[in-house]
Amino acid sequence: MTETQLLPSGKPIISQLEMLNITKRFPGVIANYKVNFDVRSGEVHALLGENGAGKSTLMKILYGLYQPEEGQIKLDGKEVSIHSPVDSIDLGIGMIHQHFMLVESLTVAENVALGLPSSRGFLTDLDKVSERILELAEIYGLQVDPEAYIWQLAVGQQQRVEIIKALYRGAALLILDEPTAVLTPQEVDEFFITMRQMIDDGHALIFISHKLHEVIEISHRVSVLRDGQMIGTIPTKGATKSKLAEMMVGREVGIKKDRFETDTSEKRLVLENVSALSNRGTPALTNVTLDVRSGEILGIAGVSGNGQRELAEVITGLRPVTGGKIILEGEDVTGLTPKQLMNRSLSYIPEERMKDGMIKEFTVAENLILREHDLEPFSKNGLLNLKTISAHSEKLITSYNVKTPSQETMAKNLSGGNIQKLVLAREISRKPHTLIAAQPTRGLDIGATEYVHLRLLEQREEGTATLLISEDLDEILALSDRIAVLFEGEVMGVLHQSEATPEKLGLLMAGVVE
Amino acid sequence: MKHLGKILILLTVAVMLLAGCGGGEEEVAAPEVFRVAVVMPSAINDLAFSQSMYDALSAIQAERGADKFEFVYSESMFVVDDAAAAIRDYASQGYNLIIAHGSQYGSSLQEIAPEFPETSFAWGTTVDTFGLDNVFAYEARAEEGGYVMGVMAAMLSESGIVGVVGPIETGDAKLYVDGFTAGVTATKGEAQVNANWIGSFSDVALASEAAQTHIGAGADILTGTAQMVVGAIGVAEENGVLWFGTQSSQTSLAPSIVVANQVYRWEVVLKEMISLIEGQTYGGQSFLITLENGGLEVEFNSAYALPDEVKTAAQAAIDGIVDGSIDPLP
Amino acid sequence: MIGNLFTEAVLVGILASGIRLATPYLYAAIGETFSQRSGVLNLGVEGQMLIGAFAAFFVSFTTGSLWLGLLAAIISGLLMGLAMAFVSINLQAEQGISGIGFYLFGLGLSDLLFQKMLGTVETVSGFRPIYIPYLSDIPIIGDIFFNQNILVYGAYLLVVAAWFVLNKTTIGLKIKAVGESPEAADSLGVSVARVRYFTVILGGGLSGLAGASLSIALLNVFQQNMTSGLGFIAVALVYFGGWRPFAVMGGALLFSMVNSLQLWVQVLNIPIPSDFAVMMPYVLTIIALVITVQRVRPPSALTKPFERGH
Repeated sequence: MTETQLLPSGKPIISQLEMLNITKRFPGVIANYKVNFDVRSGEVHALLGENGAGKSTLMKILYGLYQPEEGQIKLDGKEVSIHSPVDSIDLGIGMIHQHFMLVESLTVAENVALGLPSSRGFLTDLDKVSERILELAEIYGLQVDPEAYIWQLAVGQQQRVEIIKALYRGAALLILDEPTAVLTPQEVDEFFITMRQMIDDGHALIFISHKLHEVIEISHRVSVLRDGQMIGTIPTKGATKSKLAEMMVGREVGIKKDRFETDTSEKRLVLENVSALSNRGTPALTNVTLDVRSGEILGIAGVSGNGQRELAEVITGLRPVTGGKIILEGEDVTGLTPKQLMNRSLSYIPEERMKDGMIKEFTVAENLILREHDLEPFSKNGLLNLKTISAHSEKLITSYNVKTPSQETMAKNLSGGNIQKLVLAREISRKPHTLIAAQPTRGLDIGATEYVHLRLLEQREEGTATLLISEDLDEILALSDRIAVLFEGEVMGVLHQSEATPEKLGLLMAGVVE
Repeated sequence: MKHLGKILILLTVAVMLLAGCGGGEEEVAAPEVFRVAVVMPSAINDLAFSQSMYDALSAIQAERGADKFEFVYSESMFVVDDAAAAIRDYASQGYNLIIAHGSQYGSSLQEIAPEFPETSFAWGTTVDTFGLDNVFAYEARAEEGGYVMGVMAAMLSESGIVGVVGPIETGDAKLYVDGFTAGVTATKGEAQVNANWIGSFSDVALASEAAQTHIGAGADILTGTAQMVVGAIGVAEENGVLWFGTQSSQTSLAPSIVVANQVYRWEVVLKEMISLIEGQTYGGQSFLITLENGGLEVEFNSAYALPDEVKTAAQAAIDGIVDGSIDPLP
Repeated sequence: MIGNLFTEAVLVGILASGIRLATPYLYAAIGETFSQRSGVLNLGVEGQMLIGAFAAFFVSFTTGSLWLGLLAAIISGLLMGLAMAFVSINLQAEQGISGIGFYLFGLGLSDLLFQKMLGTVETVSGFRPIYIPYLSDIPIIGDIFFNQNILVYGAYLLVVAAWFVLNKTTIGLKIKAVGESPEAADSLGVSVARVRYFTVILGGGLSGLAGASLSIALLNVFQQNMTSGLGFIAVALVYFGGWRPFAVMGGALLFSMVNSLQLWVQVLNIPIPSDFAVMMPYVLTIIALVITVQRVRPPSALTKPFERGH
């Protein structure tokens, strides 16, 4: 072994990077407290933790986006100071952000060249950049067209651009922040191949994920953060899902609820050849035909942006259809207003709970009666009945276990999980016949996710027809009786739970029909 | 001096309050200092409408003495709401006469004047006093000077094409242009007057392009009204085209090409208003400035060698308008 | 009588005057294009123009040097731009409101300085049309394009330069990235604040030039509020042109040519009421705007202050 081992990109490797005793405070919160973390060349080190556990803060410190109050960072044994991304990039650290840091209106080559000195002084040298991109693409098997605009690329391709961007800058250490969240199972497999290639070449990878099975599959070591503190670092070999989950949450999790047989005789919600447009005026849904029966959960699987949002909005009356019919409990409800649909016992858990599900500046109590504030018993002759409202919210806060200082607290001051409980309380307590749940656990921690799942299964047993839209395939598989897959606004197929496997669904999600 | 003024105001106010409390009809002694406030749409040095009023007030002050006659002004009040606020402020500060120098201020004045029955208001240019007995109206017979200018323009033009740059086809500007056109046509029947209304009182750039357009269309004489014409005068000078000014003297801008200006002397009617106010009549009349009463004056630019026969014709037109034998708006 | 419009003299007049009238719009709108492309809406253009117009006029008037006047206009515009940059980037003020504030500031200050330092409307002998050998002699074309003053030529060269900077240089790439996705630019080590300072200050300098083009090249006078809303039209033209320099130029020319067309319509006594004639450029611009706005998307980060980690 030579003294400085080189990567295929020609840059030196980082044999070891250590973060020692890192402490970072935000007003009112300690995001990281005396955290130790290290990663070595040739390994994937997974970083686990619930939302708000401090993973992102730690990684942003490493990338120079935040400055720690205490602690040091050592690279190959030497202390380094990282004040901004310029420093971290210079040191060979790259970061693939969960939300891609790409400029959609620019080309791949322009995105890669951005911020780098040009060989032609103040003129751009995009032709040379493109050449180099193709070289890197060749070495790492990341096929991408340097001339393409980012907005033209699929999510998986965009991720490749992100990786190439980091490699182009000579990254020896890559921080991968939830890189698989947006990928189909097949794309995840391809991504893992790339990751393995990179560690074989001597890169050091930090892998942040919620998905325990992925962590177990790809990583060499796992570190778990909880409430800003490092709970421990263990070799992946021998670690189990339940052990890791317990480290994350601090207690045993994953009590499985038994699924009972339910009466699914009634076709409660039927969509016949429904089409609709996106906000941009392009087709978002094309001839969607589906039915949701009483006592069942119909899961809608698909990669983000394939018409899920529009499907939920069409059913709840928030988006006009351009064709087809929607039938609710035997009655044609196409074109009815959200209010009319609500009066037909349709409930909706919207995808953006902070934006569409709640009014942030309203109190908990006010949010709980948003839907029925103008009906008795909550109001009479246009006057609110504050006593009834207060009693009602007190009851829901208790029965749905919402953690809030009081019912007068502004919704914006609650955590994501508690806000979702609030939405659930409002939507489920009215005993809906039909429930549309869009991404009901996105961004929630394990505990809150578990709670939402239990409530949805409870609804199933009570005979509610539930349409569950989720980009989390594990969630779809765990809850659904049947699974429909959306791809580019079309239903690729509907599978029974018993016949659905991640592989089959993944192919459908990628638009491949066998 | 200033202190004395303040004391006087205080005394006056005190006397007025006492008089009010007493409920009697005792006469309030006319204050020794006559105080005027004026609200104007453009700057006092616009070489046009606002300057004409400023110059008039300065002239009265020079005559009566700064210790006997004070005036304050708010210029560039092109936002009518701001002007209304200023008018109200002045009224509550006890000015003797408040001039709203712009027809756009009319509706504000109509609202404010009844609240201050002891204060006199004047507004122009118009003849409408709203039937209120504390509002005076004043207007310029701009067509009179316009006609005289038109006579000269027709005689001096070689191409027979004359260009006019105006703001909006209404009020004072329309009167001037109509009189000017009548003067041209009466003198040289075949001459052509092209008018260009640019829709703005302040768009100097467009006024300048309008002048270019006239010259492109063959005009060798230009005139125009309102403050944005300074742009047009520049173009006229560049192209050696003659210019007739109105409202204020514009000679200083381009001494080589300005032939004559119709100058407004509002002091003629202001003096009448002031003496009425001092005699406890606060409004209800409308005034005109004309060639006859000296409120309008045709001022020749001495630096421009005006042919004698043109000057004679101009004088004849002035005389004809004054004695009524010429109607400037036929 | 409509036929009178289609004579050589009239068409040459319309085109030449359109090209002249478009000049101040071009300086201001290209400056605004840079600033908006980087994500900052500067509504203070009009105020910057007024200050620039006054500075150019006053310095030219007192020193007799038009070039010093030009320099003064640029410097005063840069300073106004610097202030706008500080308020919108460091203080993260609401850009629309602070822009209006700068407009009112420029309007008031230019008027105050005018009253105190000049006292009355004066004239200077501004930049003269430049004779270009051969080109100026070409019939018709020469009259339209090659009989203008240096600031007119400068405005059109500026459009080419702006296109070049935005599309061919590294700073152009940074400007576009910062306006579309400041987070992405920041993550690559591009200083969002520095790029925005650059564009907003540049925009201020160009607005100052726009003012100078009025006061010492086209009109050669200074009068209070002489820009008369021109700066706001320039901002509208940036939207009209979809943030692309050549399209912005197209919009400026369209607006100006229709404006000079309506002047001719009146002069030729074509029987259209003057009130309708003066509306023509605005109506046409609104129609064109309605058509174009449908398909162009503003920079995603326009009007949004950037703060790391949000």
